[in-house]
Amino acid sequence: MSGGEAHVENSIWMRAVLFGGVFVAIGLLAFATMGVGVANVKHVAYEDAMHEYEEAKYDYENAKANNATDAEIASLKTAKDEAHHHEIDAHLSYLTWRTAGITILLMCFTYASFIGLGGFLNSVFPDDHGHADHGYGGDDHEHHGSGSPIVFSLGIMLFLMGFPSFQATLGNMLSGVDANLGDLGVSMLGLLFVTAGVANWWREDLPFIGNHEQIATETDAWFAGEHIRKAGLWVFIMSEVMVFATFFSSYLRMRTEWCTQWQVNAGNENCAAVDTLTASDFLRPNGGMLDGLGGQGDFMTLLPGAINTFALIISSYTIVLALKTAKSKDWVAPTGLMGKLMPTKKAAVRNYLIATFLLGSMFIVLKLVEWSHLVAEGFTIGAAGTTGQAASIFYVATGAHGLHVFIGLLVMLYLIFKADTVGYDEKNGQGIEYFGLYWHFVDLAWVVIFPAFYLY
Amino acid sequence: MGEHETSGIFESMVEKLPGNFDIYFWNFVILMIFTVFEVGAVFFETVPGTDIEITLSVVWAILIGVGIVKGYGIAAYFMHLKGDPRVYTRTALFPVLFVLLMLWGIGLSNPGAVTELPSWCTPNWDYASQR
Repeated sequence: MSGGEAHVENSIWMRAVLFGGVFVAIGLLAFATMGVGVANVKHVAYEDAMHEYEEAKYDYENAKANNATDAEIASLKTAKDEAHHHEIDAHLSYLTWRTAGITILLMCFTYASFIGLGGFLNSVFPDDHGHADHGYGGDDHEHHGSGSPIVFSLGIMLFLMGFPSFQATLGNMLSGVDANLGDLGVSMLGLLFVTAGVANWWREDLPFIGNHEQIATETDAWFAGEHIRKAGLWVFIMSEVMVFATFFSSYLRMRTEWCTQWQVNAGNENCAAVDTLTASDFLRPNGGMLDGLGGQGDFMTLLPGAINTFALIISSYTIVLALKTAKSKDWVAPTGLMGKLMPTKKAAVRNYLIATFLLGSMFIVLKLVEWSHLVAEGFTIGAAGTTGQAASIFYVATGAHGLHVFIGLLVMLYLIFKADTVGYDEKNGQGIEYFGLYWHFVDLAWVVIFPAFYLY
Repeated sequence: MGEHETSGIFESMVEKLPGNFDIYFWNFVILMIFTVFEVGAVFFETVPGTDIEITLSVVWAILIGVGIVKGYGIAAYFMHLKGDPRVYTRTALFPVLFVLLMLWGIGLSNPGAVTELPSWCTPNWDYASQR
């Protein structure tokens, strides 16, 4: 979006390409160290633990078959159970490092292609197109709106239209089955539109210095006198509330019929025994057990979800600090270590945004590590009975939330880029404000998801 | 998230607190403390250092109560609904109507709805029991 504009050289976009290169390097480094180096060491330990368990199991079965004394059998059973726990711990430890390495790699590659491609497309424009009045505003012109969101939406529509064959073809390619590359066409065209829409959107916004923000002027309208972008964002949040409400209502509706450990503990007369395991049975202490699954939760299993909860709250605060700093007219550099981290107002805004970005990225990594553990422990949509339903709604709801976090992180990449180049101040800080509203909403949704799916 | 000043009990309390911290900082601190409380309620079977049992009903009450406090803290202060024009609060609350309708639907479609829900929130179920 643009209104009043500053002169911005197109060469500045090359810095976005540089950002992309840095992300590729970080992703490769993280994958090499965590996903390959540490994970391979952990895999060796896992294999050793597996062999120990197999041996302990063999000794136990052998003792039973050979009519060993009860004391010997009991001792071997204890050894077998310990070996089994050790094997599970070793497996989860391996999964933690492997999943974290792969997740960071994929996230960094997505960040790199998003910011790098958008930057590259804008950097190749002739410079005089960058700051002239191009129909969507200018120093002395009222804001005329932007077509970029429409191009972006068209791209999303095309991507989703082609998505079934897109994911099937990618799946075939990854598993070495013959695949028709033409089946990727519609989605790839969609991604092209998305990239063009986003790049053009950034191009329009980067020089924006805060003048001529569109105001709702119709006197009898609900939002009369308010910034149109802010009103639009609140309407968008309203629709998002509905999306998450559907997940919760589905979950609650199904849960009223499940005999979970909670229902059994509560003395529900229709629930004599547990027939469904929920995610919380795998994560919290004293969770329910069914067919040998669940009930192994402790401090460590609950930790990723708890850390993520704190991470989102802290990130909500850092985005508030970024906005507060940007809008501050009499900002004074702090002293001590913070002074070194935030020597100027421009650096402070950028670094608060980077802190938010890092916390959000950590959220995604921990989320996928947690998912990998849950899947390894048998909490899958293919699980027997209604546990499969519980897994399905858990992965859909927490996955949709994670997707919102990830989309927020992609938007934040641009905010960091703008903070690092043009900078934010008291006049153009509304970009951070509007993004902050979205980010707080994501935090708000987690406030409900965490207790409902992880603790209850 | 906005520039408007807000006023209320929480703001007045914040002004009296020591240090040069603003309402956002104290809101952040409260959110963190309540999250610890929330996780602790599930993690411990008794109140630490005592024999007082944390029952299922208490955990329920804590999860819902903490959720409401945290939701209010984020929406009112971080999203700045408290200082912004009322139209934003109305916009944010509009979907609650549909959420309530969905909750009502959950109740009605529950197997126990015919016999267990109070009569004021159900249609006339007589036909179902007379069939």
